[in-house]
Amino acid sequence: MNEAAQANHTEKKAFLVKSSSLKEVRTFCREVFEKLQIEQNLKDELVLAIAEAAQNIVKHAYKDAPDSKDIMVVKISCEDNKLQIAFYDMGTPVDPKKVKHREIDNIKPGGLGTFFIQEIMDAVEFKDGGKPWINHLVLTKQL
Amino acid sequence: MTYKVTEEALAHGNVCTIFLDGEIDMDVVEKAKEVIFPHIEAGKEVHLNLSQVQYMDSSGISVLIESHQKALEKNNKVIIKDVSKSVLKVIMMAKLEQILNLE
Repeated sequence: MNEAAQANHTEKKAFLVKSSSLKEVRTFCREVFEKLQIEQNLKDELVLAIAEAAQNIVKHAYKDAPDSKDIMVVKISCEDNKLQIAFYDMGTPVDPKKVKHREIDNIKPGGLGTFFIQEIMDAVEFKDGGKPWINHLVLTKQL
Repeated sequence: MTYKVTEEALAHGNVCTIFLDGEIDMDVVEKAKEVIFPHIEAGKEVHLNLSQVQYMDSSGISVLIESHQKALEKNNKVIIKDVSKSVLKVIMMAKLEQILNLE
């Protein structure tokens, strides 16, 4: 448990859905985790998981709309040492049953992002984000 | 991402060392491929120096896998050198530390 991460805290930020936003997503996460005083190793893992989830929105939910001007929202909340990261987007609806990583022993490029997210986080769930959002992914991790 | 390429002729063939710098993610992955793949396809032994790469996501890992596999097809190898601790952690999470040539 990270003793320092006691204070309840919520921040959210909107990003354009494009690959050049991924660096901004990471910067936002690092700044929030700095405030939460999350230790470096865990911070690196959480930033990777969040960046992979944001990448999945760009790569898959907006696969057919690379020039979209839509935004995606990343919301980070920490309450009672439970970290929750929520993603909202208006891309192609995701079928949670089809979200799976490749077999890890089948070495080939691709299919690792979802594996990393599942390795790092305690729970990965798709929920109803309400209008106007189409997809609402929630990642949780007990600190 | 920025890069620098050096080449030297050794007894066993031409070695190309590519120094990558910065964060390697989906946004720069095509550029990374453009830098690395031609040297592999030219039959050179490629050394990827990652000492200045502090962040790599699954897209970057895919480039390492693809580079490794392309080199094998050419009966050659890609050696990944001076991996930073943070990138090594991602390589190990992907269970690739025994597959890729790490030095």
